Amino acid sequence: MDQLYLLATLAGVRVAVDTREVEAVVKLADISPVPGLGAHVAGLSALRSRVLTIIDVPALINGAPTPRERRGFAIIADISGHSYGLMVDVIHDICQVPEGDLPLRGQLGPAWASYARAIVEHDGQPYLLVSLASFIETGALAQAA
Amino acid sequence: MDELLQEFIAETQETLEALAGEVVAWEADPSDRDRLDAIFRFFHTVKGSCGFLHLPRFQRLSHAAEDVLSEIRAGKRAADPATVSAVLGIMDRIAELTEAVAIGAALPSENDEYLIGALTAQEETPESPESSDASSEAPVAIARQGIAQSVPRTIRMPLSLIDQLMNGVSDMVLARNELSRKLRERSSDPELEGAFERLSTCVADMRDAISKTRMQRVDRLFTAIPRMVRDLGRDLGKRIDLTLEGGDVEMDREMVEMVVDPLTHIVRNSIDHGIETPERRRALGKPEVGALKLAARQSGNQIVIEISDDGQGIDTSRLVEKALAAGKLTSDAVARMTEADKLDLIFQPGLSTAEQVTTISGRGVGMDVVRANVERIGGVIALDNRPGRGLRILLRVPLTLTIIPGLIVRAGGLHFAIPRAAVVEIMHDNNETLRVAEVGGAKIATIRSVRHSMIDLEDVLGMDKPAQTCPRVIMVVRSATGAPFAMGVSAVENHEELVIRPASPLVMASGVYAGMTLPDNGKPMLLLDAAGLANAARLPNVVDDRAAGQAEENEPSAGVEMVPALRFEELSGEKRLLKLSLVERVEDVDAGLFGRSGGQAFVRLDGRLVPVANGVHSFAANHVSALRLRDGVQEACYPVAAVLDIVDMPAVPDMVAMHGMLSGVTVIDGEHLEVINPFALFAALPGGPIAERRRGRCLLADSEDGWTREILAPLLRQAGHEVVMGLPSDAPVDPDDVVLCSGDDVSQAAEMCGCRVVQLRASPRPAGPQDGSIYRYDQDALMAAIAGTRR
Repeated sequence: MDQLYLLATLAGVRVAVDTREVEAVVKLADISPVPGLGAHVAGLSALRSRVLTIIDVPALINGAPTPRERRGFAIIADISGHSYGLMVDVIHDICQVPEGDLPLRGQLGPAWASYARAIVEHDGQPYLLVSLASFIETGALAQAA
Repeated sequence: MDELLQEFIAETQETLEALAGEVVAWEADPSDRDRLDAIFRFFHTVKGSCGFLHLPRFQRLSHAAEDVLSEIRAGKRAADPATVSAVLGIMDRIAELTEAVAIGAALPSENDEYLIGALTAQEETPESPESSDASSEAPVAIARQGIAQSVPRTIRMPLSLIDQLMNGVSDMVLARNELSRKLRERSSDPELEGAFERLSTCVADMRDAISKTRMQRVDRLFTAIPRMVRDLGRDLGKRIDLTLEGGDVEMDREMVEMVVDPLTHIVRNSIDHGIETPERRRALGKPEVGALKLAARQSGNQIVIEISDDGQGIDTSRLVEKALAAGKLTSDAVARMTEADKLDLIFQPGLSTAEQVTTISGRGVGMDVVRANVERIGGVIALDNRPGRGLRILLRVPLTLTIIPGLIVRAGGLHFAIPRAAVVEIMHDNNETLRVAEVGGAKIATIRSVRHSMIDLEDVLGMDKPAQTCPRVIMVVRSATGAPFAMGVSAVENHEELVIRPASPLVMASGVYAGMTLPDNGKPMLLLDAAGLANAARLPNVVDDRAAGQAEENEPSAGVEMVPALRFEELSGEKRLLKLSLVERVEDVDAGLFGRSGGQAFVRLDGRLVPVANGVHSFAANHVSALRLRDGVQEACYPVAAVLDIVDMPAVPDMVAMHGMLSGVTVIDGEHLEVINPFALFAALPGGPIAERRRGRCLLADSEDGWTREILAPLLRQAGHEVVMGLPSDAPVDPDDVVLCSGDDVSQAAEMCGCRVVQLRASPRPAGPQDGSIYRYDQDALMAAIAGTRR
């Protein structure tokens, strides 16, 4: 398998993201808040002339917004025609995983159930393979509605 | 192969669109060989390409049509309406098939034989019942005007590429802004600045050019109309003469798409309800053929689309009856309504003057939807109703969707944009005409005895309201649908042209935002949606028309013509009135921008010099309220102590003075107020706008001399000249500069530089007949010499 995965820690959980979904990883600068929305929308941020909607993924998953000073990196992705930045705790690596996707084992916590698709193993550690689009489409939009 | 197919689809769709009008025009004038040839060519091309691409159904259809057309070309057959319908039918089927191929769907399997049969059936029975009497005459005649015959050379390119270009240019603009900030922080280097200026101009030009790629001719909007008019006319047995004008006006591609539906609806209405049947028209003494005219023109940054017909117009009394029957109005309210109010009922949902619901219109999707659609894109719809003689509908839509004038407001420490079109009025909350009351949690703002629902933006958006020392701003906001309401914000900061881009669905889901914008400072900003805010605050949707009605009743019955006027307080303390129509806007101007030159006070506004009407140029405060006046051509600024309110004053003052700055005195609410005479005001201004004339400097050559330094320099400064000590060694001398010196040698040197010289002498008498110098205490001669040498 020559598929690349981006390995990161998200809300304290090790996750892997298919790099085909990832456009870039940036360090978050200014975020202009969007009042009137839930905590999972951290705000808008400009990346050159593009405006990103920044999603506070930890807030989406466990309901606790990330404090301003702990905002680090965001994964930039283009999801159904709009640019989003998804906040993550730590970015570890981008690498190939020899075995590829493995089926989910064990009882997944309800918070993660709608986002995880499979398991990816790297260095003997399991990572949840998550889809970025699912955070927006099933997670954030459902909460907004 | 795929590429060929794509090309074929795109080309076919485009030609089909263009041809729809041609076929109808050809029917109107079957002898028009050019149009017949164009249609024939289309079928021929389709037949050729699809044989090659192996699309048998296309081939059969186009082949059949081609056969019939070639017979008509050979004169063996006449182009009667039934034939045209059959040809149109084939074209429609080809369009459907193309669509299906384009999206990769299964081809719709209707029986093509039927269509082909319809074509060939005509051969055997040329006198089919359909093509008898009136309908054998062409129901529609088309006259297109203002279309250039020469076809411009074009290329086809994907929209995504244009979007990419747009984004690239936006990036460039942002990068340029950042560079400009950085440059300003550093010491100035004229050479670098010059290069940067050039770059800036290039970027700006580029942006303009790229925005033009988004423009499209209004023609596209009109392409479907002739066909629709023809079909409707036939269905309803009406004969219509359609005129299309101004198809070469350009507007934003997206805008074209947004206008199609409302326009189609209006045209349908006009044919269905407006234009009468030929019999009825004959009885009314009108020409049998109804006239329908669509015209587009550009007016400033708006496109005006005019749809006019000579039908029966709108019967307002029937509208009122319907509204009464539907319980939307009370007879009491009807009595108060003006004709315009009654006409406005057409925009009420669920009211239609159609006697019966037809397939064409009157199905509940009425003018209310049209108006909502037009207003959603920032447009305005206006009616000009001439009962019995016709209806003229004016649609005014902005040139582009993406750039709108907006106000930047601050609330809860954040900035938001709001379309300027949505804002009716802005006032500080300490304004005397405003009263805010709170009852049971509901806030009510009463402005000049009209009650509005009031919200604070911070409350709606769930933000904290930071304490502030300056008064808050209340704006009256009007949404496309629903009643105007009052909205409180911390401040209104700015007024800008904003480039609006769509916000992500997540943000749109909140319902209070309409989009976002990225201003030059690089901080994204959200555009507020007025209707969404009202919804979010769950405001009742009722207009308080009682006060307005009462106000009208209370109007002086003597029939004195009233004009709105601005009541303000002069800097000297008097309260005066000025006709409101002259006031362009009121703004706070930095007192430092005021100045005086040549006996005329002026103020520097937006990079121009604007004369100050009342001649005041020095103020105690740092900021001064100023009225910006305009008589159409000339501009003036009128600094005042305070703007009080807007009142109605009689057009002719109660006491008339014929001369001077005041045209008279009028009594408003028991107070005597002087009325400014706008004629005298503008007449007193210097003719023509103050040119942005470069005032040359006065270069004092003998900078070491005590007299020059202590006596001459202050005198010149006092007279309003810019004074430079010594001849500048680094910069070249400007031709407008004047050199003042006392020695002959300097005078000659300066003259060689090409600038003008005023030579001064210490003795009252000239040294000889050739001496052109001026005695240094002869102030008049000195000033005249400086002014004179400067021309």
